[in-house]
This record gives sequence, structure tokens and C-alpha cells, in this order.
Amino acid sequence: MRQGFRQSMAWLHTWSGLVVGWVLFAVFVTGAASYYRAEISEWMRPELQTGAPIDAGRAADLAADYLRAKAPAAQGWFIGLPQPDKPVTELYWWNDLVSPLQHALLDPRTGAPSPARDTQGGDFLYRFHFELNMPPLWGRWIVGLCAMVLLVALVSGIVTHRRIFADFFTFRRRKSLQRGWLDAHNVTGVLALPFHLMIAYTGIVTLAPMYVPWGITAAFKGDETRFFVEAGLSPEVRLPVGKPGSIVSLAPLVATAQARVSEPLEHVAVYNPGDAAATIVTIFEEPKGLAHLHPQIAFDGATGAELGTTGLVRPATRISAAFVGLHEAHFAGPALRALFFLCGLMGAAAIASGLILWSVARLPKAGERPGLGFRLVRALNVGAVAGLPVGLAAYFLANRLLPVGVAGRADLEVRIFFGAWAAIALAALLRPHLRAWREALGLASLLFLAIPVVSALTTGAQAFDGAARFLGFDAAMLATGLLLAFAASEAGRTRPPRRAEPAVPAGRPAQRAAGTPQARSAAPAPARRRA
Amino acid sequence: MTPIVLALNFALSFAGLAALALSLDRHHRDAFLSRPPKARARGLRVAGWAGILLSLAASVALEGWNFGPVQWIGALTGASLLVVALLSYRPGWLRPAALAALPLALIALPFALRG
Amino acid sequence: MTERSAAGTGPNGTGKAEADKAEAAMSRTGIPRSGLSYRAAVAGRVVLAALGGYGVAALCTALLSLTLPLVRSEAVTVATLASFAIMVGAVVYVFAARSLARAALGLGAVGLLLGGGLWLVNGFA
Repeated sequence: MRQGFRQSMAWLHTWSGLVVGWVLFAVFVTGAASYYRAEISEWMRPELQTGAPIDAGRAADLAADYLRAKAPAAQGWFIGLPQPDKPVTELYWWNDLVSPLQHALLDPRTGAPSPARDTQGGDFLYRFHFELNMPPLWGRWIVGLCAMVLLVALVSGIVTHRRIFADFFTFRRRKSLQRGWLDAHNVTGVLALPFHLMIAYTGIVTLAPMYVPWGITAAFKGDETRFFVEAGLSPEVRLPVGKPGSIVSLAPLVATAQARVSEPLEHVAVYNPGDAAATIVTIFEEPKGLAHLHPQIAFDGATGAELGTTGLVRPATRISAAFVGLHEAHFAGPALRALFFLCGLMGAAAIASGLILWSVARLPKAGERPGLGFRLVRALNVGAVAGLPVGLAAYFLANRLLPVGVAGRADLEVRIFFGAWAAIALAALLRPHLRAWREALGLASLLFLAIPVVSALTTGAQAFDGAARFLGFDAAMLATGLLLAFAASEAGRTRPPRRAEPAVPAGRPAQRAAGTPQARSAAPAPARRRA
Repeated sequence: MTPIVLALNFALSFAGLAALALSLDRHHRDAFLSRPPKARARGLRVAGWAGILLSLAASVALEGWNFGPVQWIGALTGASLLVVALLSYRPGWLRPAALAALPLALIALPFALRG
Repeated sequence: MTERSAAGTGPNGTGKAEADKAEAAMSRTGIPRSGLSYRAAVAGRVVLAALGGYGVAALCTALLSLTLPLVRSEAVTVATLASFAIMVGAVVYVFAARSLARAALGLGAVGLLLGGGLWLVNGFA
């Protein structure tokens, strides 16, 4: 029975991993990039000057003026106040809960639309990470389903892997093709296993009340707001009374709030701004700690009187918030954030190597015609794994090459991203398999290497505050390009070298024949069942 | 969460994981072309676990129970990836690199304590 | 060594030979694994794992939210956090069970127990 259990788990791991692998690869890559969402946005809006202090209260009032003219009947305004590293007022508003969020960027000093080029910046990658650029509900359910299948694949993969500790450091890239991919899959999966388990589970937890609302249904009769208030996650927010009203100036409230809480004030939300019972909520950066808990103070929109604050947070809620905090890693300094990023890429690598392993393990025999399913999986592998970097590079290049004034610029960037990705996926169907890999990865490499050059040529004439401002971004692009070039050259190899190479001493073949562990590892599986 | 504490963590984890890797027959042979004698394998294993535990102790002592374990696991993951990369591309470098990591950890220690 | 001859020697159950064995294990009732009934059995398990697993997790969340001896917001949070692990356990159970019928019976029994418990708790509340 035990053996049967392991085999059913092997089956489960193989097939669950295959069906969600393509989506999850993109989710992992864009998620890893989201750790640098602010940096990406900054690079994509080179017109903005960072550093100079900005009056947050005045910026909030200018934003309210803009929104009063633009969206007086909105259900809610969400004003992102300018920060030292983000010198722009970012507005979101929604007229109902179904239609997409509206968005605008303002110059925090004048209240006029921001002079920065029209782009979604890093926010596009961040939102793609959990919404796949679909209508939010659809995207979130699909990504949540994939994350759940990922958890299942992780658990069944752990059960399947017989030699986690013995093979912990093993990467036999020079043995057979399949062995190399299996080891690559194991190494990237096992070494970062704590991260993978954490990121899958905490990722689901970030949207838990949406996926599993049944606790709130049972204990709160479905009143989600009540739950958030009682858990200490949200202050009381009033329902609209249906009578028209207007809100007070935001600047004094911003000052009051800033005097009460030591963390930076990040957002001002206004619920039902055109109603007599409007509520204004000031939302602060989370205090130092793992937990993702933003202190909030709520004010009466009509009078400016304080309505309440976020309440006491009890242990379970704090743990839940720490799960979300771990997922987002806002607490991490540059070095730790780089490690989170690396772990995210290892997750993407584990998924990619698993997908490739599936096809390598099913290579048709010589003279056998490959089946349709097999060919489709292989083409999808190229399209998903090599197509995404091409799309990303095209997205960044489009940001620099599209004319600044062109209409619908932000959407155009996104369309170029998907267009480039789709073109690679189509080409993968038409080209011979190995060549498709090499060409797509090579193209991605060239595009990434071109980004710093194009950026310097197109924005070099503008006055920046400091020439070194984008050195980090440029270095990351160059490193990505070189990594992809390495991948392209490796993909060009049809099979590993027959026997190896300088580092191997003459004694090795003899040892192998003598039944050393290495030779044993190639022996039939039953001999090692107990290992 | 100073980078220097992370560097200390990383150096200790790397040295520990390298010792553990070298205590395994396959990787000892990759690096030294021979299996390790029993006593040496045992010594490496003890040293390896000691390095990993020291790394945990350092991260918890300097960063607290909140961030310490997170940073420790992050450092372990990064260090183990480096061990694997060295083993498969430059196995001969693993031992000198692990030995070099120890004095680096010692140099980082006073800075980490002060920061 | 050709690519092909390397296949099937994976020690971790992801090789082709292992996959074949695993697929054979999925049809221990003797149904050929390429046949229509095998596919139906796999599809049945997928549906049972998704809907049954979610159902059990949902019932469990609701029951725990009402019965855990904590402030109600805390009980909801604990139950919701646990629900995803419960669902993973249910899915693993469905795919590890000897047959689809057995998996359905097992999951159905748990669901019935949880549903009964929820009915009782709601009745007393």
C-alpha cells in the first residue's frame, strides 16, 4: 500500500504540475519582479524627480479637487500620497464593484495630470501576478486555483522524492538529458522548498476571505465588514445615507493623522465622497515587523471628526497578517529582498525544469511519430518559458521607444508585451523544437541587453537628478540578458557530452564499475526503495 | 536587518552546507577524487550542522525571533544554491571557498554586533 | 548514450517508467490505462478532488468558526487559515485512495459528519 501511495503521488505530482505549470511560471516570474515594483515604476517614469520634500496635505487636497470634478458620484476614492521615492499622487476610484478601477497620476505640487509618460509601470507586473490581466474576479480565482494545485504538487512531490537528503546537493548535468533535468528540478525545488511552501500558502491567504468566505458566512452572517472591524483590520466605515453631502478639506486631517502615528502616511481613502455620510480613512505604512497591518484612522467626511481607529489585533489575526507580510516581504531590506527575488526565480526554474522534464521523459523512440499532445506540450513549454522574457523585454523597450504623447500609451505597452509573447508562442509551434528554444532565448537575451542602450539613447538628453539613478536597473537588465544568453547556448546542445571531461580522473570509470554509490544510483529502483 | 548580519548568516550557512556536502561520498569524490574516510565524514557532518546552527543562533540573536528565522532560511537557500553551483561547475573550489567563508564570518561578526 | 535510453531510470518517480507504473497504480482495478473508463476514473477523481475537497474544507471552516473557543473573528481566522491545508489533505486522499468509489465514500462520510455537526451547532445557536 505504501508503495502504491508513493506511486499515486508521483502520478499526481506529474500531472498536477503539468496542467498549471505554464500559468504558474508566469505568476512566479511576475511575482519575483513585483519585489521590485517600485524600482520598475520609477525606471518607467524617468520624468519624475525624486528627493525633494512634498507637502502631503496639499497634495491630498489637490487630489480631492481633481476627483470632485472627475468622479463626484464614485463609491470610493483611493489617494496614494507622494513619498520621497515616489514623487507623484496616485489616484484610484471606482463607481461600482464590477467595472474596472479608474486610475490617474497627478503632479503633487500642481494637481495637474502628471508630466510622466503614460504607463502602468511595475503595477502591471504586480497585477498580472494575481489577476493575469483578466477581469479581477476571474484572474484571482484562476491564480488561486493554480496556487492550490501548486500546494498539492509540492506535497505530492515531497512524498515522491525518495532521497531528499542524499540528493540535496546533486546536480548531474553531465549525465543524461533526463537526469540533468530531473536534478535541476529537484535542486531548484528542494533547496528553496521552505520558500515554495511559504509563498504558495501565503499567496492563497492574501485572498483568503474571497476563496473561503464560509467562516464569515457562518459566524458573521456574511457581514465581511463586521469581520474586518472586529478583527482589528479596519475602522468602522459608515454606509451611505443617500443624501448628498460634501467632504471637508483633507489637509488638516492629514496633519492630525500624521501627528498621531509615527509611520509614514501612505493613503487617504474616501468612501461615498458625494454622500452626507462620507467616511475618510487615513492609512499608514505598516510598522516594522513581519505582519502586514496598516494602522488606520477614520474621520467623518462632513465634519472631520474622528470616527475610530483600527482596533486591537489578536494573535490569530496577527499570524494571518504575518502570512501576508511574508508573501509581500515589504519588511525586507535590499539584501534579503534580493534573496526573496532569487527564491522566486528558483520557483520559476523548478516549474520550467519540471515542464521540460515531462517532455524529455516522454521523448518518442527513434522512428516513432511524436503524438499531438507531446508536440503541444513542447511548444507550450517554449511559448511559456522563453516567450515571457521576450514579452517582458518588449514591455520595457516599448516604454522607451513609444512616443511620449501617443494616445493610449499605457495600453499600447501592455499590448506589445502580449503581442511579443504570443508571437514567440506561435513561432514555437512552427519551428523545430530545439531551434525554437535557442532562437526564443537568444532573442530574449538580445532584447534585454538592448534595454540599457536604448534607455540611454532615448532618455539621455533629459536632465536627471544624478546620472547613476538607473544603474541598478541597467545592471539587472544586463544580468538577465547574460543569463538568457547562457540558457540559449545550453539549449542549443542536443545532448550532454558522452563522457566527461578534464576534472574526471582516470580512476573514475573503474570505481564506477566497482559498484560505487554513483553506479548504484543508476541501478533499478527497487534496490533503493528503503533509501 | 542590516546587510552585514545577512552576510554573517550567509558565510556561516555556506561553510556549514559545504561541509555537509563534502561529507557525502558523491560530492567528496567530486572535490577530492576519493571517498571520505569515516572519521572525516563524521567530522564534516558535525562541523556542517554546527555551522548551520550557529547561523540560526546568530540570526535569532541579532534579528530576534521575528525576522531571524526568515533571514536564516533565506541565507540557507542562497548558500545551498552556491554550493550546488560550485559542486557542478568548479568542485575543486568548494573547500577553499568554505574555508574562506569562516574568516569572513569572523570579520563580519563585530560589525554585526555593533549594527 | 541516447536520449531515449536515459529515460526511465529516474530515482524520484518522475521518469517515464515510474510514470507508467504510477499510471498503472491509478487503475489498480485492472482497467487499461488508455481506455475510456480509465479516463473517466481520472476525470472523476479530478472532479471529486476539486468539488469534494473544497466542500469539506468549506464545511470544516464554517464548523470551526462557530465552535472554536475564541473570539469569533479569531475563530474565523484560524478556521480560514487551516482550510487550505484541509483541502490539500482531501485532494491527496482522493488521489491516494484505492478506487474512486472509496474516495467518494470517504469524503462523503467526512462531509456528512461535518454537515451534521454544523446543523447541530446552528440548531443550538
